[in-house]
Amino acid sequence: MSVRPQDVLITGIGVLSPIGSSVSALHDSLLATRSGIRLWQSPSLSKSLPAGVIEEDFAPRFSKLELPYLDRCSQLAMLAAGQAIEDAGIDGFAAHAQRAGLYYGSVAGGVKTEHDWVRQFHVDHLEVSRPYTIMASMLNAAPALISIRHQILGPVITNSSACSSSGAAIGEACRAIRDGHLDIALAGGAEAALTPTFMALWGGLRALAEPDLADVGRSCRPFSVDRSGLVLSEGAVFFVLESRKHAEQRGVDCYARLSGYGIASDGYHIGSPNSKGQAAALRAALQDAQLEPAQIDYFNAHATATRGGDPVEVEAIRDVFANVAATLPVSSTKSIHGHLLGAASAIELAACVLAIADSFLPATAHLEQVDPECDLHHVAGNAQADHAVEHALSLSAGFGGTNVALAVSKEHDLRTRTLLRSDESRS
Amino acid sequence: MAKPDRKGILSMLQEFLDERFDISPASAKAETPLHELGLDSMMMLDVMLEFEDRLSIKLNDMSMPRDATLADVVTLIERNMGSD
Repeated sequence: MSVRPQDVLITGIGVLSPIGSSVSALHDSLLATRSGIRLWQSPSLSKSLPAGVIEEDFAPRFSKLELPYLDRCSQLAMLAAGQAIEDAGIDGFAAHAQRAGLYYGSVAGGVKTEHDWVRQFHVDHLEVSRPYTIMASMLNAAPALISIRHQILGPVITNSSACSSSGAAIGEACRAIRDGHLDIALAGGAEAALTPTFMALWGGLRALAEPDLADVGRSCRPFSVDRSGLVLSEGAVFFVLESRKHAEQRGVDCYARLSGYGIASDGYHIGSPNSKGQAAALRAALQDAQLEPAQIDYFNAHATATRGGDPVEVEAIRDVFANVAATLPVSSTKSIHGHLLGAASAIELAACVLAIADSFLPATAHLEQVDPECDLHHVAGNAQADHAVEHALSLSAGFGGTNVALAVSKEHDLRTRTLLRSDESRS
Repeated sequence: MAKPDRKGILSMLQEFLDERFDISPASAKAETPLHELGLDSMMMLDVMLEFEDRLSIKLNDMSMPRDATLADVVTLIERNMGSD
C-alpha cells in the first residue's frame, strides 16, 4: 500500500508484566516461551490460585508525596508509560499542546485502594476515608497522573470495555492520529487487581484455572483439551504512537506500523461471547488495514483458556479466514503471561509487534493435545524463530461483548528497529 | 495531655511531615509556604485529621490564608485548641 503522512507508527513501547519488565525482557520470554504464572495466596482465601504476579513492590520508586495518590495500578501504569516515552526518545509533550493525547484502558483501576477502604468502613467502622482515597481509587487516576507528569494536554481518555479496554484505547488513539486530530499519542492499559476480594469476585464465575499441581507455570492452557480456565495477571503496557510525518520530523526509527483497527459488539449477552461480533471486528480491522486474510502471517488470539470462550473464537477465526484458516499461524500468549484484563490487548499487541520486528512466531505454551473444537494451525509448545512476519492481527473480546481487533504491519519506509536476542533465549 | 505551645506544635508538625512525606525538618521552616514543600490541600487536610487525633481536638475552623505557611497551620491548630 502507499505510504501516507498520517500512517500511525509505533515508536516506543513500555512493559511491566509477569514475563518481563521491559520490552526486551518481554521479547526474550516470548521467544523462550517462558511462563510467568506463579502460585498466588492470600490469608483471606483458603484456596491458592495461579496468577501472573509481578514480584516487585514498586512503591519505593515513588516519593512519599506521590504515593498517597498511587494505587498499585497507577504505579504500574506510570512506570510503563515512562518506559514507552523514554523508548521513543520524547522529553515531555507540553510543546504539542492539544496535539498530544493519552488513551488508556483498565477494568478495575484502583480497586485495591477502594476495597481497602470498604474494609475500613465495615470492619474498622471509619466514617470518613483519608482525603486521597477517592482519587487513588478512581478508574482514570493513572492516566490523570501520567498526563500531569508528562504534560499531555490534549485528550486524556479512559476506556473500560473489560478485556478489550486497552485495545479500544489503542485503536481510538490510532484513529485520532490518522484522522488528523493528533500528532502523537500514548496508548495502553494497566491492571493490578490481584487482591483477595477481586479474585473471589472472579471465583464466583467459576472460570478461573486450577493450579497445575506439577508445575504452576503450566496452569493456563488455551485451546488445550485439558484447559481449566483463565489465569488473572497484573501489568501495564504502553505504546507511543505517532504519525509518519511526525516521526520523520523527529528523525526517529520505529518498531512497526499500526495498520488496522476494528471494533464491533456482539449485542448478544453480557457474559457469553458470540463469534459474529468477533468476526465483525476482525473483518473491520482487515478492511481498515487494506489486507486480505491470506496476508496475515501471525494471529494472536484472545483465547483465555475457558471451556466456553476458546471455541467461540475459533469459530470466528474460521469464519473470517475461511480457506486460509488451515495455514494461519495462531497462538495465545496468555498461556505464559495470563490475562492482564485492562492491559491484555496491549501486551498481546506488543507480542505481535515483536513478532514482526524480530521475525518469530510466539507460541501457545502447554498445548500438547488440542481440543477438537479448537482445531487451527497452532504455534504450539515453542516459539518459531526466523519466521518472517509481514502482518499480524490480534483479537480481544471483552465481557459485555465489545470486540477489538488490531492489525500491525512491517514498516518499509521509515527505519525500523529490532531487539537483540539474548544468548539465553537462543539456547 | 498538656497543650503544646506554638513551638511545640511546629515541632510536632515537622516530625510528622518527615515521617509521612519525607520532608526534612530543616526544609520545613515556619515561614515556608506549604506548596514549596510539595504539600497540596488534600495532604494538609490529612495532616489536620492526624492532629485532631494526636491532640484530641476538633478542628472546627479550618480556614487559612492564601499561600499558607507552616506558621499558618500552627496558628490554625492553636486557634482550635483554644476553643476546645
